Amino acid sequence: MDRPVTHKPVTWDTSKMDVKRVVDVIRVTPETNTSRTPVDKAPDPELGHDVIPAARYYSPEFMMLEWERIWTKVWLLGGRADDIPEPGDYICTEIGKESVLIVRQHDGSLRCFPNVCLHRGNRLRPEGIGNAQAFRCMYHHWTYGLDGKIERLPDLCTFPQGGPPGMTLPSLPVTEWNSFVWFSLNPDVEPFDDYIAPLKDHLEPYHPERMAWKRDVTVEWDCNWKASVDAFNETYHVQGIHPQLQWYLDDVNVQIDCYERHNRYLIPFAAISPRVAMPSTIPPAIEEIMRHAGMDPAEYEGRVSDIRRDVQLFKRKHGKAQGKDYSALNDDQLTDDYHYMIFPNVALNVHADDIMMFRQRPHASDPNKMLYDVWVFELVPEGQPWPERVKHRRFKHGERSIGQVLDQDAYNLPTVQAGMKSESFPGLWIGEQELRIRHFHKVLDDYIYGPGGKQEGDL
Amino acid sequence: MDLGLQGKKAIVVGGARGIGYAVAEILAREGADVAISARGEDSVKDAVAALGRYGTHVVGKPCNVKKADDYKAWLEWAIEALEGVDVLVPLSSAGGGMGSEKYWHNAFETDVMGPVRAVEAVIPVMTQRKGGSIVLVATTSALEAMGGPQAYNAMKASLITWGKQLALAHGKDGIRVNVVSPGPIEFEGGNWDMIKGTMEKFYQSQLRQQPMGRLGRPEEVAKAIVFLASEAASWCSGSHLVVDGAYTNRTHF
Repeated sequence: MDRPVTHKPVTWDTSKMDVKRVVDVIRVTPETNTSRTPVDKAPDPELGHDVIPAARYYSPEFMMLEWERIWTKVWLLGGRADDIPEPGDYICTEIGKESVLIVRQHDGSLRCFPNVCLHRGNRLRPEGIGNAQAFRCMYHHWTYGLDGKIERLPDLCTFPQGGPPGMTLPSLPVTEWNSFVWFSLNPDVEPFDDYIAPLKDHLEPYHPERMAWKRDVTVEWDCNWKASVDAFNETYHVQGIHPQLQWYLDDVNVQIDCYERHNRYLIPFAAISPRVAMPSTIPPAIEEIMRHAGMDPAEYEGRVSDIRRDVQLFKRKHGKAQGKDYSALNDDQLTDDYHYMIFPNVALNVHADDIMMFRQRPHASDPNKMLYDVWVFELVPEGQPWPERVKHRRFKHGERSIGQVLDQDAYNLPTVQAGMKSESFPGLWIGEQELRIRHFHKVLDDYIYGPGGKQEGDL
Repeated sequence: MDLGLQGKKAIVVGGARGIGYAVAEILAREGADVAISARGEDSVKDAVAALGRYGTHVVGKPCNVKKADDYKAWLEWAIEALEGVDVLVPLSSAGGGMGSEKYWHNAFETDVMGPVRAVEAVIPVMTQRKGGSIVLVATTSALEAMGGPQAYNAMKASLITWGKQLALAHGKDGIRVNVVSPGPIEFEGGNWDMIKGTMEKFYQSQLRQQPMGRLGRPEEVAKAIVFLASEAASWCSGSHLVVDGAYTNRTHF
């Protein structure tokens, strides 16, 4: 205990919860923080205790409102910048009924266009990444340059009206930040820096550009996209569907911070949940954390409760020799899960050595379905070769495992979606540990009904 | 049946939790003075406080068995604090583990040399007192394959052999030595508690192999250990008692 616990990161009374022990977590404080990533506890917003209507998870009308007022208005995550380093490299990605092309230009900049031929509406490219000198529609060979201009329109003379306006695909806003590319379907979208605030300071110290693709999977899930967002926005469910994680993380001593539209929580990892008795032997999953840091669990002489802090100290001491530059991160970031939600649909578990993120996309037409993208990136130590990019895989829920923890989440969601339609279920009964869910829905409300505009009876 | 433990002096190495604590508790309940050790200061303090309710002399001090000099000093301290020793149950263990050579050293230092050093410390005292009882604790993992090839199983197996040798060597001085091999035992904070939470399928598979449909409890092993430690077992020496609810498949000819 070399640092005093001075600020109150956890707002609920952990001693009255269903716990076996009360744990004082050693934490970086605003005073001791060495990272640009702040650790300050944001004041909890007053969001009331209303039920969150279940119908917003299955109503086609609400889905339409989301499309008109959110998906077509905000900045959206498009992909990884290092997938498209060379001119002509492109990412083709879908959101709802739309598909866009994000294309690297000859001058190194990015452009974004709708992925649709202006002639008869054919999609120019299937979803995925690739390289093109030009985008030629397979149907009649209308051909677009990397900048979206029509380079060739066969038999142009047979179109008395001429080519489509400006002979170009419309341009959509696109930007690059922190090794990711972002786009918007809204030509008048606010500047990206305003939208992402205040997360630049939070996330840039992790240097995701030093991390390489480890996993790229898309799973079709039978639930509304918001059910998935909710599932990752609280740790209350750990004791329910992830009992094994209680010997891996502290699901009780969690700091929640809500910002204007984004939010986060900070979960101590390499820790034992206060909900279970302290074991005298090191849990296998925590042994993995130690081995990954370069420690030999068999050599460890300390107590299980000291491991989190000792892993931090070990990484701080040996990271550099391992080619891992942790200088931009504070000690807690060397073990813990700083978990961010970038509104509306990106969840990121950021760690010193890896990032596991989820992009949660609505189905084109069915509010009961969604696309769940799992992207994992791993730090490539200096001096080690950059690994080959993993292949993207796509399948339906249940066809393949996506790992024990995510399988547990996935298994549950279709039954949540089914149950929410019950006449006996007015909506979500949300507790303090689920504040981020309430905050997420408040931000949704502000987009859909205007700030504070939600009326009695609105979904 | 009187166990004849009233007024006896017992050392339990690793007596703050699990089987060790249950042994210490039964000994204290039966009227014995008890000295316990454990790694953590808090756990020793809590255990000593809890054991005090039986009104016998209970002492404890933290000790890392792997640190030979500290451990030997602890043993001397315990014998002195109890003003002698009649019963020794050394059961601290480094536990299992594979993938590092260090596990062999840990198991050797804790599971083998832990009992060896304790026995060496008590034998002269027991010899002088013309009697004593030592119970070594092995495991059913020494008898049947369990958890993969690892130091824990192999090192624990050595206690079964060594225990018999000790019994032969010290019988003339009235010292009895027995070995108890427990099967999987579940208690809060124990390994099987964690396995139940972290590897539920494996836990269930073990449960299915249990003829009585459950794992053992610490006190169910402790009662067998205390019986062998007691005067009631005066003709038991050199024996090896498996306490596993018939979990192991082998037959004991």
